[in-house]
Amino acid sequence: MDDIGIFLQIIFWGLYAGCIYILLGTGLNLIFGVMKILNFAHGEFLMIGAYITATVFLFTGINPYIVILLSMLALMCIGAVVERLCFRPILGTGKLNEIFLSIGLIYIFQNGAAMIWGDSWQSIKSPYDGITIPVGSLSVPLDCIIIITLTAVILVALYIFLKKTRIGREMRATSQNRKGAMLIGIDVERIDVISFSLGCALAAAAGTLWVVSGQVFNPYMGSIPVVKAFAIIILGGLGSIPGAIIGGLLMGIAENGTAFFLGGVWKDAVSFIILIIVLVVRPTGLFGEKKG
Amino acid sequence: MKLQVLLIAVLLIMAAFMAGCTQQTPNQQSNTSASQVLKVGVIASLTGPASNVGNNMWQSAQVAAEKINADGGVKLKDGSKAQIVLIVGDDESTQQGGQKAATKLITDEKVDILVGGYSSAVTSAYEQTIAEYKVPYIVTGASSPIITHRTDIDTSYVFHHVPTTDAYGEYVIKFIDQVIKPAIAEKSGSASDRPIRLALLYQDTAFGKGVQTAVSDTIKKNNLNIDLVAQQSFKMGESDFRTPLTTIKGSNPDVVFLAAFPNEGAPIISQARRDIGLNTIFLNVINNDNAQFYKDISQYGDGAIIESMFSPYIAPAGEVGDAQNAFKQAYYNKFKTYPDMMGASTYEGIFIAAKAVENSGTTDKASVRQALVDLKMPQVINVMKNQTISFSPDFRESNFDLWMEQLSYNATLGETRPLIVWPDNQKSTDFTLPSWYTPGSA
Repeated sequence: MDDIGIFLQIIFWGLYAGCIYILLGTGLNLIFGVMKILNFAHGEFLMIGAYITATVFLFTGINPYIVILLSMLALMCIGAVVERLCFRPILGTGKLNEIFLSIGLIYIFQNGAAMIWGDSWQSIKSPYDGITIPVGSLSVPLDCIIIITLTAVILVALYIFLKKTRIGREMRATSQNRKGAMLIGIDVERIDVISFSLGCALAAAAGTLWVVSGQVFNPYMGSIPVVKAFAIIILGGLGSIPGAIIGGLLMGIAENGTAFFLGGVWKDAVSFIILIIVLVVRPTGLFGEKKG
Repeated sequence: MKLQVLLIAVLLIMAAFMAGCTQQTPNQQSNTSASQVLKVGVIASLTGPASNVGNNMWQSAQVAAEKINADGGVKLKDGSKAQIVLIVGDDESTQQGGQKAATKLITDEKVDILVGGYSSAVTSAYEQTIAEYKVPYIVTGASSPIITHRTDIDTSYVFHHVPTTDAYGEYVIKFIDQVIKPAIAEKSGSASDRPIRLALLYQDTAFGKGVQTAVSDTIKKNNLNIDLVAQQSFKMGESDFRTPLTTIKGSNPDVVFLAAFPNEGAPIISQARRDIGLNTIFLNVINNDNAQFYKDISQYGDGAIIESMFSPYIAPAGEVGDAQNAFKQAYYNKFKTYPDMMGASTYEGIFIAAKAVENSGTTDKASVRQALVDLKMPQVINVMKNQTISFSPDFRESNFDLWMEQLSYNATLGETRPLIVWPDNQKSTDFTLPSWYTPGSA
């Protein structure tokens, strides 16, 4: 493989890695956009999604790219319960409560998952394990192509939902002006639970793609991705879905590019270096809007 | 509203309870009919990312203590016999957790001796406490030589009973030079003086850097004809290695040496063979020889090499092999799974602790420390140099004899299984280059 080939391959790995970040970041942004809450336990929804997909796949043999739907549905239900029981009572009572609540949730989900599935690292083999297809001069795993395609499909579906459906429009209205939405008769509490559930479903999708890509997972896997997801939404602009998409892609490519040029130890650091630069130059993030 | 607040409180209490469960200390794990007890503190990662290895260490310690107690216990100077009582401290796979566990075992539980310690970073963090209270500590997990080489604190009470990263690097490089190099020359028909192209992928921690240093030092010290064509690092706990592997592939290596934990080593090899098409020989350090690694690596492990001193699936011939098999069986009977090499060194660590107390005839910590310094006991389940466990006078390190295993895929099991291929006095078969192997090129 020549230098250009290696570079293109690295960009491709960045695109694929970015897909998982995009789904996680978009879900987090959806929740933040509507409810304005900080949920540090969002990575645990990715973890649970990963385990649900892996468990169903191992027990039934159903293709994990189909199980993703079940995993997303399960996380929507879990998300609805968490929103209703945990976040709704403290909504508007201060960021400190949200932070401590989400830290509590992290412990609950991590220890709960460890009790159910054990705390060893696990992995599964995708049904398309070992199949590679030529893309230009590159030879890439079929799973990565499916992951990129599936992410695009989910994002298009989300776009249509937000733009074309009544609930989607109500979510956008609530995101733009919560009081205004209430005044025109939108049931914002209903919108909150839908947004939170959708955000969790996107995290479940990210978790599913994580396991089918051949990465290992355990109950503590969510802590690093959630920090990156926060960096992505700040980078892209708080509450901005296009911002989360661009931020996720940038993050994936920058991380892999940096690992190539500077070494793997800089992989995590570069995300935050970019974040700091963007915040200095444009404090609202790439797609964030100035208030007032 | 009150109901909701109550529910949240209940959930948080549940969280605390569940966290407590995993940290719960099984205080008395054996009968204590004897009048005296020897309190052995075991520091292990029962929770957190290293819990797989940590639980293995703790469970192995239990098997050892049960065997010693069943054989009558530890003989003291006054003729009485003490039963071993194990008390576990969970380091939670973190430096803070390690500090908490060590302090609790020493000050609250007042243990006579400590065994265990996984992750060099975590273990180093509480060595100051060991130095302060002067409690003999047999480290059986952390592999960085820094554990007993550091000079910023007094480590005279710390004894290292697990191969260090210096040994990791040295054995693998010698194996490459003596076995793999001639095999590649034969297969590719290249000149015998062609240097072997070695790539190194290492975890960016004291452990990984220790292996990196050992690799370059061994090459330099022995003036070996080995070129280090790529050195890539990754963060501990990483799960996507495609980028460093792509870079390594670009360097056209003959072999790739991995300084990684099992949860990293298995995905590295799978991603390299499956996604990158890097059809080469992967060499893994000693800590990868555990059952989960074989399960995770599946068919992609075929042809790979693992450095080892204890394997869940094979044992060397002779008495020590019988002892290993007996330990594996006892462990399996109790826990329905197999121990790994950190478990094996911890198992032996309990025997060392018992022997040191027996030799000193007392639980006085200074006397036990001196007994460890003077220790010369027959090997228990690991193959030691001169078949004897003793600690070096300079850095209090024991001296293991390691071997190399080559994995071959068993389609019926759906996993690979190892066979010893080096050194000659222990091997059961010869090393072979797989048919799919592609040698590197300049």
